[in-house]
Amino acid sequence: MTSYQSRLGEGEGIAEELAESQRAISIAEFFEKNKHMLGFDSEARALVTAVKEAVDNALDACEEAGILPDIYVEIQESGDYYKLVVEDNGPGITKEQAPKIFGKLLYGSRFHAREQNRGQQGIGISAAVLYSQLTSGKPAKITSRPKGQDEAQYFELIVDTDTNEPEISVDETTTWERPHGTRIELEMEANMRARSTLRDYIQDTAVVNPHARIEFDEPGLDESLKFERAERAELPDETEEIRPHPHGVELGTLLKMLEATDSYSVSGFMQEEFTRVGGKTADSVIANFNDRHYGRGMAWQPPKVNEDADIEAAVEDAVANKGAETTATFAAAVCDAIHDCDRVAYHEVEAIVDDAAEDAEADGDTTFGSTVRENAVDAAWGAVTADLTGDLYALVDDVTTKRKDDAAIEGLASRLADKFADDGRHRLTRDELRGYIDRAADMTEEQDDATYGETARENVLEALWTAAEGVPEEPPKVADIADDRDTASELLSAMRETDIIAPPTDCLSPISAELVEEGLRKEFDADFYAASTRDASVHGGDPFIVEAGIAYGGELESEGAVDVMRFANRVPLVYQRGACATTDVVKSIRWRNYNLDQPGGSGIPKGPAVIMVHVASTNVPFTSESKDAIANVPEMEDEIELAIREAARELKSYLNKRRSMQQRREKQDKLATILPEMAEKLTEVTDNDELHIDDSLARIMNNVLVEREIEDDTVRVRIENNDDTNADVELTDIVTAEPQDTNGATVVEMDGEWFVKWSPTVGAGETAVLEYSVTDEAEFTVSVDGIEEEKLTVNA
Amino acid sequence: MSTDSDTTPDTEEAREQLIDLAADFYDQFADGEVPTMTIPTRTKSNIVFDEDEQVWVYGDRNSTRSAKTVSGAEKILKAVYTIDFLSQQLEEDRSSTLRELYYLSESWDLDEAQFNTQDESNNLIEDLEIVSDVKREDFHMRPEESGAKVMGPLLLREQTNRGDREIHCQDDVGQGGYQIPNNPDTIEFLDNDAKFVLCVETGGMRDRLVENGFDDEYDALVVHLGGQPARATRRLIKRLHDELDLPVTVFTDGDPWSYRIFGSVSYGSIKSAHLSEYLATPEAQFIGIRPEDIVEYELPTDPLSDSDVNALESELEDPRFQTDFWEEQIELQLDINKKAEQQALASRGLDFVTETYLPERLDEMGIL
Repeated sequence: MTSYQSRLGEGEGIAEELAESQRAISIAEFFEKNKHMLGFDSEARALVTAVKEAVDNALDACEEAGILPDIYVEIQESGDYYKLVVEDNGPGITKEQAPKIFGKLLYGSRFHAREQNRGQQGIGISAAVLYSQLTSGKPAKITSRPKGQDEAQYFELIVDTDTNEPEISVDETTTWERPHGTRIELEMEANMRARSTLRDYIQDTAVVNPHARIEFDEPGLDESLKFERAERAELPDETEEIRPHPHGVELGTLLKMLEATDSYSVSGFMQEEFTRVGGKTADSVIANFNDRHYGRGMAWQPPKVNEDADIEAAVEDAVANKGAETTATFAAAVCDAIHDCDRVAYHEVEAIVDDAAEDAEADGDTTFGSTVRENAVDAAWGAVTADLTGDLYALVDDVTTKRKDDAAIEGLASRLADKFADDGRHRLTRDELRGYIDRAADMTEEQDDATYGETARENVLEALWTAAEGVPEEPPKVADIADDRDTASELLSAMRETDIIAPPTDCLSPISAELVEEGLRKEFDADFYAASTRDASVHGGDPFIVEAGIAYGGELESEGAVDVMRFANRVPLVYQRGACATTDVVKSIRWRNYNLDQPGGSGIPKGPAVIMVHVASTNVPFTSESKDAIANVPEMEDEIELAIREAARELKSYLNKRRSMQQRREKQDKLATILPEMAEKLTEVTDNDELHIDDSLARIMNNVLVEREIEDDTVRVRIENNDDTNADVELTDIVTAEPQDTNGATVVEMDGEWFVKWSPTVGAGETAVLEYSVTDEAEFTVSVDGIEEEKLTVNA
Repeated sequence: MSTDSDTTPDTEEAREQLIDLAADFYDQFADGEVPTMTIPTRTKSNIVFDEDEQVWVYGDRNSTRSAKTVSGAEKILKAVYTIDFLSQQLEEDRSSTLRELYYLSESWDLDEAQFNTQDESNNLIEDLEIVSDVKREDFHMRPEESGAKVMGPLLLREQTNRGDREIHCQDDVGQGGYQIPNNPDTIEFLDNDAKFVLCVETGGMRDRLVENGFDDEYDALVVHLGGQPARATRRLIKRLHDELDLPVTVFTDGDPWSYRIFGSVSYGSIKSAHLSEYLATPEAQFIGIRPEDIVEYELPTDPLSDSDVNALESELEDPRFQTDFWEEQIELQLDINKKAEQQALASRGLDFVTETYLPERLDEMGIL
């Protein structure tokens, strides 16, 4: 993962270009015009955006340096303005770096880096710096202490709005209690109307970055909110920046890459600049490209054996002045080679003629010049293509329905043959071939009263296209393609058409199901947590991973719709909830199946729950530049749904279990009221002694009942399992005299007491009995483990 | 107090039997068992014909209420509370109505012991009758509605709270007739000139018969059933038959619900099949209105409703109606798809029923 420190020296990219083109107007004007896009369109939102940019930057800086982030965010009232303070414990920055990082608008944009990073989400901290300067007139105040230095540096930074050049206005040494890190202070016009959004943003950030410790203070808080680091949380794995995948680039990007590359050939370009492209894949791309760029050469079946003489004779006739024997040998070689082919295309005939000519030259003194060769090729090709109708008839007949009568097939075949007569080499693109077929079919429909529907035409096209052969031409050089938009477009189509393995996924750093759960656990006081991480998937050329988490019950708000938290690359998405694919997926799931309340059977479910979805990708598809909502990409929606369902299944079984435990508890509570009353009444009515109903209760409550029976010297401990599942009981009977014949139970003596240990598994509705004998007078104390207390009745 | 005291326990016996029932529950608890109460399943599919008594009684199928479930525990709890209440009532020699029991349960300290509906308390009393083998009347529980009325040449003595009264059911009563008490076993028959018992479903028809002096003319004991007859009415009918050796006839409307009224007089009702021996009069004969009468007398009719058809079809499956007579009649009725009321006979004149219909029918049946 790159941070701003290592981004120095970069600077290529569309964002830079964008800024470049804005040079003509002042940077302030540019900002003013684009502030909706930059997230500064209202004073309330400006503050949220500034916090977001500063916190993203701080987290990135720490992670890059391998430091567990410890971030402090404070908002203070400062006269007419608000002051935002963000501190991190990152590696700190130097005086030279500061202006570029904080001051230069759109510097080193990461929009097009093929890497999972937070930078995709915003325009950068510099926009916040500029906004603060434009609204308050105050400089950005930066304190930095690089690791290992005794003192910290303090800078004040101003952006010259005419030149977009940052300047350091104050530079002095100061002291700072943090051993290392960066602190930035920005004063700006703002208001706290979005207070709850801000708090949610900080909390959501804490959930999705369980490895970070975050503290947040603002004027409305009595004391600062502290979001502690999850115990087991470590730094996210470092991600690799990957080259683009051929399926994931747009034409504009491709053109830029073509211009920028050092490669000379298309094959080299493909292999150098793209991920997952080797020699073979490059060849496939080139073959597809050639099909589009040059077309294919139509290949025909050579004439049948009884017409042999034709090729040979034609070639012999075409070769003049080479001696009868040489000519005959040459013609025979060409003829044989052509007959060895199942189908032969013009360029193959050329190759065959060249081979035969070279053999002939090697054998004798004759030279086969280019004119002779061309004549021979034309003669042979003329013979091969003398009768195309038969060949075409067979091809068409093969792929059309049996109901087509001969005349219709014959009609189409002969009309197609006529089309080919126009072009000597029979070379054409798929589109051109389709044009031939359409015209021939239209004519046939018109004149022969036949029908060639869309499917039939497509089938014929496929058969002919398959029969045609790719041409051996080299594709144009990279430099030429770069200059020609149409050719580049053909290359792009060829890349998309080629099957290429999915991009590698080690460029992604998911949070992991465990830490998603941990994050929820530390920020929400719920009864139940579940999380899931999907395997990596691909949309376009970008790999992505979806993770989901659900918290339920406890202190969560039980009124109203559940809270849906959306994240992209560990950054909370705050605005445009309704436009987000995540929200759409949550709404489309039938939550009643998962025991959540969902009025009307669709929409956001209700109840005390939080649903979170995290999408990590090298290129998260957003609906707009403000990057607040994930676009409805089907592959991604599917994965989001599967991730949520995975977590929801756990929720369902939890809720089911909870319901049945609750029913059991209700039943027990009810019976625990009724039965003693019944016993008391029975005692009263029958005028008998007081009843002990423990045993009955144990049986009624489906409990495990432990009883003791002593008969002379024999002691029997009976475990009766009234439940409908097996009971694994660990029973220890402490006896004050030595027990004998303990029937398999282990006995340990300790200080004059004997511990009889017995661990039976008692099936549902069964009873297990431990029998042993004690000859002396003894006292017994029994302890039972392995059974939940509410399911256990000990009567021994 | 009753004429067949050998089957009816006195107050103390009734009380003891209730307490024995409680003692069973007590013993189950004391043995560490789960208290349960087993009673016969009270549905149409679980009644069988008792050849000896010629009545329908409950079969072998039982349902068990166990304290293992909350609802079972609540039922047993209610039973125990009711037993407590009944035994006190018997001890104090007082009585109460079923409705009073329902309201009285409101005063019980435990919410779970209280009855939720009147049906629940009525059913529980019937359950207790079955398991304790003691009749409701002997618990001193009486129904809200009083028994129906008798008119005819019969002299009897009734034990009342105000002492014994001798009453002649024609001479000592008004136009309404003699009111049957809740426990007809407090009646002693002294003398009678009656030749048969005529049970009449509707009040209108009973009044017609009395106005026309049918009881006088034919020495009939006209018993008003008033819809589905109360236990007391059925008990009295049975005693009139058994003790005075009078033939019993039943005269109702010609629809499926009225056949059930005949059924409960004759064969016993499903709900109180445990008391069939005590309440049912198997020898009772059905006068009409028969479906064949509808055809023969061209009576004004209504078409059968869907529920009528269902009821008829369900009667075809009812073991109590599986006789040639009933199968023929019910199938005929389904065929003509018509039903008629008793009063439809008035279409042939007000005296038609007393001068023609009944004498002819009774003659045919060998009663006159």
